[in-house]
Order: sequence, then structure tokens, then C-alpha cells
Amino acid sequence: MAINRTSKARGKIIDIPSTPTIGAATGGPGSASVAFTAPTIGGPVFSYTALSNPGSITATGTSSPITVSGLTAGTSYTFSVRGNNPSGNGEYSTASNSVVPTVATAFESIATTVVGVGGAASVTFSSIPTTFSHLQIRVYGKVTGNDGYDSTTGLNLRFNGDSTNNYYMHYMYGLNYATPGGGYSGVQNACGVGTLSQYNAGNVAANTFSPNIIDILDYRNTNKTKVVKCLSGDNKNGVGYYRVQLSSGLWNSTSAITSIEVFPNQFNFRQYSHIALYGIKGA
Amino acid sequence: MAAGATYEPISTTTLANSTTWEITLSSIPQTYTDLVLVINGKQQTGTTIKLQYNSDTGSNYSVLRLASNNTSVVNENYNNETNQPFALGYANWTYNAILHLMNYSNTTTYKTTLSRSNDVTTKLALLYNGMWRSTAAINSIRIFTDNSSITYFTAGTTFTLYGITAA
Repeated sequence: MAINRTSKARGKIIDIPSTPTIGAATGGPGSASVAFTAPTIGGPVFSYTALSNPGSITATGTSSPITVSGLTAGTSYTFSVRGNNPSGNGEYSTASNSVVPTVATAFESIATTVVGVGGAASVTFSSIPTTFSHLQIRVYGKVTGNDGYDSTTGLNLRFNGDSTNNYYMHYMYGLNYATPGGGYSGVQNACGVGTLSQYNAGNVAANTFSPNIIDILDYRNTNKTKVVKCLSGDNKNGVGYYRVQLSSGLWNSTSAITSIEVFPNQFNFRQYSHIALYGIKGA
Repeated sequence: MAAGATYEPISTTTLANSTTWEITLSSIPQTYTDLVLVINGKQQTGTTIKLQYNSDTGSNYSVLRLASNNTSVVNENYNNETNQPFALGYANWTYNAILHLMNYSNTTTYKTTLSRSNDVTTKLALLYNGMWRSTAAINSIRIFTDNSSITYFTAGTTFTLYGITAA
């Protein structure tokens, strides 16, 4: 129960906050979200503080819920919440339910596009957060057309809208129609590191999609050129041309990457293509 | 752009003895976008590691493989198979195999994988692209050594399944 005392603050007398009503706590990766209901009596609340037990780890917010970070995965915690204003701090609420935070992950989802009916010429991730060390793009894709050779189409990246000849690529591949090999693509106006299955080329099924996992390393540094690594494949169960490929790309720029355009070398992304951007944190 | 933590461990199986040649990861949650399977261990003898989805033993699997050692590179493709090879297991040194299974819970498209494995003894590096020609959502994965020459995973071998969720 809060004690509603009064004091002078900011030129007027206000009560300290009454006690919030604790709600549900939910565990997350190295953290917990603590919900509560604001008090309806007492002084105005300028902020709320959530307190962990054990550890006495606090976090502050202006509304419910409050996320308490820095918790140890596997440890059971309860939380209490109090209101604060210039006159003082209210009393802590009763304890929440117990929660056990999970292991904090260094891998976070940033944005995703699932291509709809009609396809898409490209997908652009802009305003990329600068809080990560590396990026990963996972593409599960197909294009809307075919070039008559039951072939595959390249998957391209462009950074910061740069369409000049600033890109290079090396690759190693296994094919069904030739011996395995590798090569160098020369100067390009996009970084063509991946592969995409073409649509209904010959008797290739409409629902074969190509996986691509693209790592973009140290994307926000301003001292080094940017390097890209891609693992990709186009498996058609023996029909047409197909390949598995490991490639390395380079954007010859020291600019921090703030946007990435992802697009096929021919045609458009077909419906159901899935293009997702993730961030990887460093210690 | 809002970021959300992901890449969550779903399950880990550690073998207590050396009498297992197959395990099945069942009741896989359908709440993720992609799955990642990591195997760390050894086998009694070196063989291919294979998988089947949803107990499907039909000829619905295909795989492309690119392998390099210290002298050469070879590529192979296997079509209309009754299972999907995705790694090589070895006996003398601990190996790692990492399998990425894309968009596993969708019911519209075939399921495709990328996987890597390596072995220091034979100096092999391997890259696989597998496909299961089914539009069914994947809810179980059976992992087994080549059953034409059964060999057991050794005690301590771990199978960890992770889930990745796109925002």
C-alpha cells in the first residue's frame, strides 16, 4: 500500500505515486517483459521502475510493459514495479509470476518480404539498423520466366543504390552438364552471388524454389571494402540445368551499407519468393 | 525496421551410447520460418548421413553435391531417391554438419536445403543442395546413417535443431 505523502516539487505540491498492480511477466532472450496496471489514485507518475529478484536489476519506462535486460538465462526471476515522480518513489508492487529468461541470441530478424501475386522486380531493405556487426539475407526464390534453356537465373545485390561498375564476384560450382568449376565474373554493376530457379522451363515444376544464404560482413565499417559470401543451389531433380554454388562477392566501396536492393538477373521474383534480412551481433 | 531476436534452440539430443544409427526429430513446431540442424559427433565407420521428412520413403528426394579434397573437385547429382544425403560422417575425428532447411512449414512449394560438412582426415569439404518434392509442411525429420552399411553414431554425438523466424 502506497503512502500518499506530499512535498514541494516544481513549484507545486504533488503526491508520490500509489502502487501499480503487477501483471504478467514474460521471459525472453536474456530479458523479461513485465506488465502492470497504472494506479488510479495518488500522485502523477512520471516513470515506472521494474525491479528483479534476485539480482535487483532495474529498468525504467513510462508505461506498461517494461523490459528488464541483463538477466541470466536459466535463472528464475520475479519482478516488482513502482511509480516515480519528483516528490519521490512509490512503493513496489507485489511480486510477479516467476519467469526464466532464455539464452540471449545474437541473431535477429530485421525485415522480410514475401512476394505476392504478380511477382516483384526487386526487394529493397532501406534504413538498415547500424546496431549489428554483420547481416545475413536468406532467400527462398524463383523467377517468373524462363529463357528457354531450363536454366537458372542469377541473384543480384546492390548496396546504397550504387549501380556503377563497383562489384566483383568469384565462384565455385557444381553443375549437371559440365565439370565442376569456378571463375571470376569481372567488373559488374551488381553483386551477382546467388541463384534462382526459373519458372516452368520445360518440365521443371512450378514449385521448385532456390535457397540462398548470403552473409554480408562488417557492413557498417567505413574503412574497408565490403565482402559478401553466398551459398546457393538450384535443384530440379535432374531436369534442365541445375547447380550448387559457393560464391564470394565484393563491393568496392568503404561506405557503410544502409540499404540493399535484392533482384533477379532476369525476370521478376515469382509469387511466394521469400526474402528475409537478419542482423548478427558481435560481443 | 524492427528487429526481433530469433535463432532459437528447439531441441538437443545427445547420444548416451554407441548403439544408435537413426534418430527422429518429431513434433517440430510450425512457428518458425527456417530450420537449422547441427550435428557434432563421430561414427563407428565413415558413411553418408541421410534424412527423410514426415516418414516419406517414396522416390521424392534429390540432391546435388560438390566435394573437394586436397587434389580435386567433383560434383554429383542424385535424383528420384528415397532419402536425401546431406553430410558425410567420419570415425576418427569429430565432424560437423550444418543443414539449413528453408521455409519448411509452407504448404505451397517443394522443400529445399543447403548443407555443409567437412572432415580433416580425408581433407574433404562438402556442399549439398537437397530437395524434397512435396508441398507438405515438415513436422518430423528422420536422420540416419547409410542403411546399406549400418554404422552407429558414437556416444556424445549431438543433434541440435534451431528455429529462425523472419520478422
